[in-house]
Amino acid sequence: MARDTAGRPSRAVRHRAALAVFLVPFGALFTLFYVIPIGYAVYQSLLTVEREGTFGPAVQVFGGLTQYIAVFQNELFWNSIGRVLLFGVVQVPIMLGLALILALLLDSPLVRGSRFFRLAFFAPYAVPSVIAAIMWGFLYSPNLSPFTGVTQAVDFLSADAVLWSIANVVTWVYVGYNMLIIYSALLAIPQELYEAARLDGAGQLRIALSIKIPLVVPALVLTGIFSIIGTLQLLAEPQVFQSFTSAVTSTFTPNLTIYSTASVPNISLAAAMSVVLALATFVLSFTVLKLTQRRTAR
Amino acid sequence: MAISSVARVGAMAALTALALTACSTGGTDAPGASGGDCAPSDGPVTLTFTSWLPGVEEAVAIWNEENPDIQVEVQTGPNGNGGTYQNFFNQLEAGNAPDLGQIEFDAMPNFRVQDGLENIAACEGILEAESQFVDWTWSQVTFGEEDAVYAIPQDTGPMAMFYRADLFEAAGIAVPTTWEEYEAAARQIREEGGYINNFSQSDINAFAGLVWQAGGEWFSNDADGWTVDMTVGESAQVAEYWQRMIEDDLVAKYPPWTDEWNAAYNSGELWTWVSAVWGANTIASGAPDTAGNWAVAPMPQWEAGASAAGNWGGSTTAVLKGSDHPYEAAQFALWLNTDADALTAMNRTANIYPATIEGADLPVFDEGVEFYGGQKIYEVFAEAGDNVDPDFTWGPTMTQVYNDVADGFSGVLAGNGTLLDALAAGQESTIAALEAASIPVKE
Repeated sequence: MARDTAGRPSRAVRHRAALAVFLVPFGALFTLFYVIPIGYAVYQSLLTVEREGTFGPAVQVFGGLTQYIAVFQNELFWNSIGRVLLFGVVQVPIMLGLALILALLLDSPLVRGSRFFRLAFFAPYAVPSVIAAIMWGFLYSPNLSPFTGVTQAVDFLSADAVLWSIANVVTWVYVGYNMLIIYSALLAIPQELYEAARLDGAGQLRIALSIKIPLVVPALVLTGIFSIIGTLQLLAEPQVFQSFTSAVTSTFTPNLTIYSTASVPNISLAAAMSVVLALATFVLSFTVLKLTQRRTAR
Repeated sequence: MAISSVARVGAMAALTALALTACSTGGTDAPGASGGDCAPSDGPVTLTFTSWLPGVEEAVAIWNEENPDIQVEVQTGPNGNGGTYQNFFNQLEAGNAPDLGQIEFDAMPNFRVQDGLENIAACEGILEAESQFVDWTWSQVTFGEEDAVYAIPQDTGPMAMFYRADLFEAAGIAVPTTWEEYEAAARQIREEGGYINNFSQSDINAFAGLVWQAGGEWFSNDADGWTVDMTVGESAQVAEYWQRMIEDDLVAKYPPWTDEWNAAYNSGELWTWVSAVWGANTIASGAPDTAGNWAVAPMPQWEAGASAAGNWGGSTTAVLKGSDHPYEAAQFALWLNTDADALTAMNRTANIYPATIEGADLPVFDEGVEFYGGQKIYEVFAEAGDNVDPDFTWGPTMTQVYNDVADGFSGVLAGNGTLLDALAAGQESTIAALEAASIPVKE
């Protein structure tokens, strides 16, 4: 980026000015809404409270890693992480499997009305997740559901079942969204590949298994990582379900644990939990990315 | 490129540092009045007031009309433990809390410990107002200290038993006056196919009201710190009683405040609700088909012939830390909770039962209530209010206590452990929460 000749400094300067103009809006928003809040959370997580006497005013002092030690000793927090990991291990493959099958069906020349189905499958994503959770909450209710015959026989809102009832809601909302990403990856596959496959005598199933699926793996990885992040950050659906069942405790998911810790209020501990959760999410997403990259490289 | 990206990172770091210093200094200064000074502001002021009382706007409109120079803007929110307290704590941390906020008695120590309340004792007429309020409510807002008033009591929640008079009569079951009779009636009602009550896994403050009635106490404090006692004496007695009711399938297990729960009252499956005075409004709106069939009787007693009552809920109007106009805010808070028109308006929209002595004599409390078959239900609550033990202390982290005990109670309903186990776990996590906040705890 050094000036190319002594005689033409203005071009480099103009170039740099243009760069600045394009970067400032992003930089400002990024700073305002990511860097500062994250920095503030990290700062808060390093504080601890001291006071004297029964009603002594609290003084915030630097506490080093005190809050992080408390996070690692907090059984409920790790239980909640374990719960969403179990949720993710079961729900994410089911959801992505469904999304892949739907995308392949839409892409198949044998299916008629693919435009209609594309919209129909995607429609649940247009429903805000809070509204979806309320709707499903009523569908699950033992006495208020339109399907009381089913809901009185099976308690979808019991302590044992509620996690999977929530998994069903999340799947219902996001399957169409993931399908659309996979579908657009399918559309990007060059037609020549199909022609070549057909010349070699491959049928639709063979094409799907040997050409389409391997070529949409990057899209699957992308949706997989998004889903892992979404799973670890589950909040809206379980929180709405709290008004339908008491089986969703105040420490059901990591974000609910953070929310109820902040309402104690113990803001520093909640901040430390948030930082740990963010790091855990990052590590998990990164691991999945690395593992899948290695596999596709082979 | 290298230079510009370094510059960008540098600029970001500088901005972050700036923001952090701004935030860290913001927390330490405490604007507004202390106990020693409370002067009127110059010129007209606008106050913000956050409350979740249904229809509180009507009472505020009366004030706004009479006081053009002190306008009050109402902001409504979810009930305290449902989110408003958390908003208050966040706003206090950020330094932009409303001037006035609704805070229940059980949350007062929490706000006090977090330094969220202005001491309005020095404001005109506040200390003198003590004689207007029911004794125990005033001690809840002063914490028993001289020259300290942290809020104005608004209403109380004396408890009684709402019951389906028609169902009891049709089944020939006597209305229970003791907890022993209540259990016996529960067994008879079970044979009729109903439940005497619903065991609420999340209304831990109602459970505390039952402990309060029995003469127990969860928290106490002195100059050296707090004591937490949730698993002994009357608290254990109440826990064991309801444990037996749950094990013998004598109570329903609907999650409270849900449509399922309302439907169970509306359909006549649930026969009684031991609740506070404001519960009158809850039943009337949740079970409209049962209008006229309800009546109110005093709470069942642990000893025959006794008349102890518990209390569930009841709010104050507090001036929050950092208000620029503590004088005007205190005047409004006092007016809202003592003025006959304001109290009548709030009773009409939210069934509140005033914390003032004279408030109980308002004409509205002498009227029969149609939903309760024309019974003068407030007479029952007035008597209950006189029989509430005045010395009950709330802990400094009640939102946490309620969350943790509720988690335990819902585990009990799912078949894990007993109510007493849940209280023990709640006590343990409460002590941990207090210690995490450096609040002294005596073992």
